[in-house]
Amino acid sequence: MKINDIITFYDKILISIIIIASLVMLIFPLFILGSKENEKLYLLVQQNNDIVKEIPLADSYEEPIIFKVEGPIGIHTIEVTNGRVRVKEAPINDPLKICEKTGWIDREGPIIICVPNKLSIWIESDNSDIDGMSW
Amino acid sequence: MRKTKKIVVIALLVSLGLVLHLVESFFPLTVLIPGAKLGLANIVSVIAISLFGFASAFQVVIFRVILGSLLAGTFMTINFYLSFSGAVFSFFMMFITYKLFKGKLSLIGISIIGAVAHNAAQITAAYFIISNQGIFYYLPFLILLALPTGFSVGLVSYFTLHYLPFSINRS
Repeated sequence: MKINDIITFYDKILISIIIIASLVMLIFPLFILGSKENEKLYLLVQQNNDIVKEIPLADSYEEPIIFKVEGPIGIHTIEVTNGRVRVKEAPINDPLKICEKTGWIDREGPIIICVPNKLSIWIESDNSDIDGMSW
Repeated sequence: MRKTKKIVVIALLVSLGLVLHLVESFFPLTVLIPGAKLGLANIVSVIAISLFGFASAFQVVIFRVILGSLLAGTFMTINFYLSFSGAVFSFFMMFITYKLFKGKLSLIGISIIGAVAHNAAQITAAYFIISNQGIFYYLPFLILLALPTGFSVGLVSYFTLHYLPFSINRS
């Protein structure tokens, strides 16, 4: 049995629409973001609607900054080194540990999230055209 | 399909879904994109939708999500709400498209819609929990990944239904 016997014309239309829509969503933020000259990057940590930490990334080049953030299910260890940030250790109670698996982020756009702990960590530029909250 | 037989098939689909959910955790796609997964458990949802009516197919999905979270120990936690929102919304979307475009969309199209709906619902639920719009950054990546996974899930469901003896004389 060939794949063309199963897949229909409307399936192909659906797949094309989804590809185009997601590519538009991918490309659109690139025009707004993109690295600029003389920009200053800040690391922001939000827990339960409050910004709990704001650090200029430039501070992390001399020596690594390691701090802990507490949430409903435990404590996160966050590491900032050489302009990059990651969750070094997720709480033991976090079943998926997505924040730890996300790894390092070093630019505007990607975000480290721990949904069970209502924690989000992202990088924002001071001369960004848009509010960093809306990519 | 007789009533007893139907109950047995529903129970089989629920347990198949639970096993597939377990198998899925051996493929850590979340390293590629946070929150990404294969969606193998969606195979049983697609099969249930094409075998039964609304009530029985919905039972398969609900029981799978509740039993799965009880086994993982995440019942009534945030993880449960995330998987519940994703599973229920994708079920409704798949059921509606199956009823409306039965002859036009194949099971592959139905399952792709389910995969995309699952991602959209989960990201939106996560957005309401952590209240940070930055989370939508991952949505296009997740949707692009939902195409191959949804495609494979639809194909597997198609062939499974093809070999099921009771799929010919539907309820």
